[in-house]
Amino acid sequence: MSEVLDLPTTRQEGWRWADMATLEAAATSAPASPAIDPKTLFLDTLDGPRLTFIDGIFEPAHSRPGPVQVTAIGEATEHPLGRRAAGEGWLLSLDKGAAVPGIQIVHVGSGGENHVPARIELGEDATASVTETFAGSGWANRLTQIVLARGSRLMRSVRLLQTDGFVSIRDEATVAQAASLVSVFLGAGGMGSRIDGEIRLAGEGAYGEMGGALLTRGSQKQEAAVVLRHAEPDGTSRQVWRAVAADMSTASLAARAEVARDAQRTDGEQSLRGLLLNRSATVNLKPELEIFADDVKCAHGATVGELDERALFYLQSRGLPPARARALLTHAFVGDALDRIGEEAVREAFAADADTWLEEAL
Amino acid sequence: MATKNAEALAAANKKYEWGFSSEVEQDFAPKGLSEDTVRFISAKKGEPEWMLDWRLKAFRLWQTMEAPDWAKLDIPPIDYQDAYYYAEPKKKPELKSLDELDPEIRRTYAKLGIPIEEQKVLAGVEGARKVAVDAVFDSVSVATTFRKELEEAGVIFLSISEAIKQHPDLVKKWLGKVVPQRDNYFATLNCAVFSDGTFVYVPKGVRCPMELSTYFRINAENTGQFERTLIVADEGAYVSYLEGCTAPMRDENQLHAAVVELVALDDAEIKYSTVQNWYPGDENGKGGIYNFVTKRALCQGRNSKVSWTQVETGSAITWKYPSCVLNGENSVGEFYSVAVTNNRQQADTGTKMIHNGKNSRSTIISKGISAGRSDNTYRGLVRVGPNAENVRNFTQCDSLLLGDRCGAHTVPYIEVKNPSAQIEHEATTSKISDDQLFYAMQRGLDQEAAVALIVNGFAKEVLKELPMEFAVEAQKLLAISLEGSVG
Repeated sequence: MSEVLDLPTTRQEGWRWADMATLEAAATSAPASPAIDPKTLFLDTLDGPRLTFIDGIFEPAHSRPGPVQVTAIGEATEHPLGRRAAGEGWLLSLDKGAAVPGIQIVHVGSGGENHVPARIELGEDATASVTETFAGSGWANRLTQIVLARGSRLMRSVRLLQTDGFVSIRDEATVAQAASLVSVFLGAGGMGSRIDGEIRLAGEGAYGEMGGALLTRGSQKQEAAVVLRHAEPDGTSRQVWRAVAADMSTASLAARAEVARDAQRTDGEQSLRGLLLNRSATVNLKPELEIFADDVKCAHGATVGELDERALFYLQSRGLPPARARALLTHAFVGDALDRIGEEAVREAFAADADTWLEEAL
Repeated sequence: MATKNAEALAAANKKYEWGFSSEVEQDFAPKGLSEDTVRFISAKKGEPEWMLDWRLKAFRLWQTMEAPDWAKLDIPPIDYQDAYYYAEPKKKPELKSLDELDPEIRRTYAKLGIPIEEQKVLAGVEGARKVAVDAVFDSVSVATTFRKELEEAGVIFLSISEAIKQHPDLVKKWLGKVVPQRDNYFATLNCAVFSDGTFVYVPKGVRCPMELSTYFRINAENTGQFERTLIVADEGAYVSYLEGCTAPMRDENQLHAAVVELVALDDAEIKYSTVQNWYPGDENGKGGIYNFVTKRALCQGRNSKVSWTQVETGSAITWKYPSCVLNGENSVGEFYSVAVTNNRQQADTGTKMIHNGKNSRSTIISKGISAGRSDNTYRGLVRVGPNAENVRNFTQCDSLLLGDRCGAHTVPYIEVKNPSAQIEHEATTSKISDDQLFYAMQRGLDQEAAVALIVNGFAKEVLKELPMEFAVEAQKLLAISLEGSVG
């Protein structure tokens, strides 16, 4: 790669926990032929539209896009990573009242950098659910812009299963009156990651949720930095994040809820919890509130620690071996975040990915 | 020089809003900041060579640094060359009687419940000090009594300039050890040009016989805009120190950049309380002090403990994070804070608890109250090092919003590298409910008294940590700061 990457630095407050070194290494890694069959990454129980991107390029052989269009997306963003994702991507645009469940998008990388923009526009009262899976290696950079019209509902689930490299995600969403957006992320691969999100609740009574679980081990660093912005009254937001860090790894969660001047009767809740499995692992948390309205209910809770000794003892007293007891408690810990996924098949698949990770790490 | 002095005097008088025709005895360093200014200050104080070198090193460092911009503050650009960095401690303009005092200030004194004689001391009424001393303490010279008592106990309590001359080894050993010269922009500036401050050394096993607050309050001198405080508590020592005053402090210096360093060795305990009520500017945000303070404690020894308590009601801009570096095993850090902002005030304040020692514990209780068009931010860091086993931290940040034009923000950072740590953080944001107000008012309180009552209840956990005599005044101070914010 010839161009010099103009990346944010950890001296910038919003990027102080970011792992730009891994990103840079992934971006310049040599391409290898992907050994992954994209087919194995789709959930068979869902029969909705399917799209496959290999190294950021649409692969029709493993796709059946249905209502999803593959087209150039040219929306501007100022986000330092998101703005790199321009050109051909995918677009889901639904009319009033339409419903498309079970959309699956699989991204396989083989090294080097790849950028894909995406746009989701739901008309009034439309509903959709989109599940994305990242596998392979290299630097996968994504920008997803979401516009939800009045009363529409979007369920978005993203799992990061790359064996190495880096995945950066930038979500920018606007949620209109009484519309609802739920985004859940699972980082259970070996890559570094940065999940960056900004959800704007721009209509009365809008609902926004962004959360997930980051599981890290080795010397991996994963990070989420999300903002939920209440611009109008009566909005509700939830940010439920869980981090599990093993070995020398670092998991960082920064979640901010902002309440604008006139967004009265906002109900915002943040729950950030970290679990350290080893001594040398690190969990960073930053539950941030920025409030300009006086009639709001905003609470955040953050805890870091190890598994509860008493709970472990209890399970062992019921006959569970220590390793099993630890796995069960950790499973429940991660489950808090993954339970927000609406579709059962997706939820189970995500939970299985988390369990595989836990079995290997514990 | 003569013209410069005249010009300086004119400037100083102009900024004194009450227009005293006073004989202010000033000895200014020329306007602006250069190596010469630093040399001038050092020479003026008759400092030894090593101190001058230390200052110059800091000054050169400062020139290469940039002001921090991460705080949620809107700081107008500061022209560091358009300020005076040295003025001899000046006599306060003397008043013939309290009647000459600005009625606004007098009203505040009365509300705070400060005794008349003490009011005179604070206001600088002619011949007041002696009277105040007699009236309050029934002795000829309270200062001498205190000094004697402290000397008997072996406590060194001096201005930092005196300490540099009399106890150079102690000062050399600890100055800049807690807050290094290159720590941050404002601290480095302070290192270069600090005017004066306090040095306290409590020797092994000594429990300081009095709250240093008591002494300080009577003898409060204007220590200038770049205050430097260093408190060392040797093994097993205890000291309680209070800085500031509930009475409103007017000062012509807009920029205040103080540095406070505390060192607690084995089994030592330091309790540091601050009541800050600098001029906050008028209701439109005009004027007011910028308060950029670096405060840090080093809990170096086993079982050492440092407790910060602060009541922040003044200043146009507050940038302040009293912190504890908990290196000692079983060391304890505490931070109790009430920050009130009204009108156009901005406060970005909080703490850092750096846990490096085994079994170290910390508690953070922060209460932010915002009213008017102000912004009040809690910013804190709890960090647990990989070798710090069994660390416990509990953090609670509560915000109270009065009115719908103000902002309350919470920015806690938690960085943990040891699995045995237990870190908890809780935060809430609320307003005074109509039910609460109605209840208090139907019991016969007027609206302002009702708000004061509720606010004091909100801040109770922090106020109870203050030395007793100040807790009462601090309560009243909260009420005064919030005047006119409701209704």
